[in-house]
Amino acid sequence: MPTVRLRKASEYSAAAQKLFELSKSWFNFDFTEPPAMSRVMAWDPHFGGPHGRAMKRAMAPGEFTRGEKEMVAAVVSGVNACNY
Amino acid sequence: MDGDAVWYEAAFVVGITNALNVVADALTDARDLGVEIAGGDDTQVPADVSATFAEIRAFYARADVPAAFRVIAGEPGYLADVWGAARRAFSDNTLSRRLKESLAFAVSVTTRSKFGTAFHLAEMRRLGVTDRGIVEVLGVTQMFSSYTKIADTLQLEPDMGDIAPADPSAPPA
Repeated sequence: MPTVRLRKASEYSAAAQKLFELSKSWFNFDFTEPPAMSRVMAWDPHFGGPHGRAMKRAMAPGEFTRGEKEMVAAVVSGVNACNY
Repeated sequence: MDGDAVWYEAAFVVGITNALNVVADALTDARDLGVEIAGGDDTQVPADVSATFAEIRAFYARADVPAAFRVIAGEPGYLADVWGAARRAFSDNTLSRRLKESLAFAVSVTTRSKFGTAFHLAEMRRLGVTDRGIVEVLGVTQMFSSYTKIADTLQLEPDMGDIAPADPSAPPA
């Protein structure tokens, strides 16, 4: 169980709503509620904004495709034993 | 990148990478402490070990045998089986060898493996990955080393399983 109460998207500010739209677009998936991590990052857009932009830069196609990078992300998450 | 085959292959790369790294790193550390356990000269070895070493040198296109294999050469049958698994895991298949070495590099960086980081970085370069590509892998590794710790700290529960559909296909024959 999360150590914080994850707020519903409707509880967030207009600035945070923009982050949710970007998240929806990034995953190309119509979530009922934004993913927990998106709602965590939206708690402080001054952190979540640049962190999210850095992630998108890191995940953008380059020498490796987005799919290949998603796989790198998955194995890093796996060896970090991250359940999320 | 559709289907489960890519994930099975990635998992096998992660597993054998970690297996090779933990032993190579531990014995390197032991050697630094003055304890010689195994893994010296890779040219003066029994014939069965020599045959496996020849395969390893050919696979990696290098003159020496990586420490991860030298240190287990005292048991030739075990060496041959570990090598067989490693060769299969890192060979071109559904995933390319280039990507597999990159995954192994990310695993090695994440687990702070000195052996694995140096070895797989060299393999990435040998297989044509440029400095830009290496930074790309480091960037993903770094960002997801952040996300995972944020998620763990807040004990977030998985909620993105619906993004990818389940693969209904059977295991390979």
